[in-house]
Amino acid sequence: MSPWLSPETLRIFNSAVNYCLDTATGRSIFNTVVNNQKKISSVFAALADPTRRRIMERLSGHGERRVTALARPFRISLPAISRHLHVLERARLIQRRRQGRIHFIRTRSAGIKEAQKWLMRCALEWDSRFDAIDVLLAEGERKEKKR
Amino acid sequence: MKSDVKISGNQVQITRIFNAPRERVFAAWKTSDQVERWSGCKDSTKVEVQMDFRVGGTFTQKLHIRNVGEYTITGTYDEIVEPEKIVYHVNLGPATTQVAIQFIAQGNQTKVILTQVGFPDENLSRIVSEGTTESLDRLDQVLSGQVV
Repeated sequence: MSPWLSPETLRIFNSAVNYCLDTATGRSIFNTVVNNQKKISSVFAALADPTRRRIMERLSGHGERRVTALARPFRISLPAISRHLHVLERARLIQRRRQGRIHFIRTRSAGIKEAQKWLMRCALEWDSRFDAIDVLLAEGERKEKKR
Repeated sequence: MKSDVKISGNQVQITRIFNAPRERVFAAWKTSDQVERWSGCKDSTKVEVQMDFRVGGTFTQKLHIRNVGEYTITGTYDEIVEPEKIVYHVNLGPATTQVAIQFIAQGNQTKVILTQVGFPDENLSRIVSEGTTESLDRLDQVLSGQVV
């Protein structure tokens, strides 16, 4: 049991609740979708790669790890690992701390939160579309009764 | 929220009972004039739908969104079993989201189960779900309780 987001669980929860409150008070869903499209896409793209997923797994439950230690089991060059880390960094899935020439990497939940919020938005959108289908179906029934 | 929502790992599953026979509910997804009536979101003022409703056929939905502008979604139908099931996928840049809709007859009512998979890769589900199940279980409580 070492979910790599567990220290962040409460923060994720809070942001999801804030999101729901925003929606409940009628703020635009689609504003957020359009503005965050690029961020979300970068998360999906970053995690679509098996090497980058393994990097995330190796970081899981470890706190900080040195780049060299992280790279050890992979049969690819250090510059190649470095490029993967850049992609993860841009997607806000990891963060880097420099101590002189040594780089330390740890997970960061910002990217995943973005993806989760996106899923939550999907659910809320479907719910409101289903409301509209309800209206449509009720109309059809009234028309049929008139005939 | 009137639908039952489950979020786990990379997927959203939404279940809803509609007060109409299955053929009628299925028909709401079948033609562009029907889809235009319900698709979009609270902030969209108009939805223009073009669709070729057959396996391998494509669709586009151009949403006009208040204070934002236009937003176009393009997808392809993967599976159509009338009046039981529709599966399609939508491209969102590097990610593809797949939507499967099941229509289950329950007397004069229809149960619709919609599953949307948000990530491009199966394996990702495990990684993400480790971190999300707990928080989303609590989110379920919030959604069914004071917030909505």
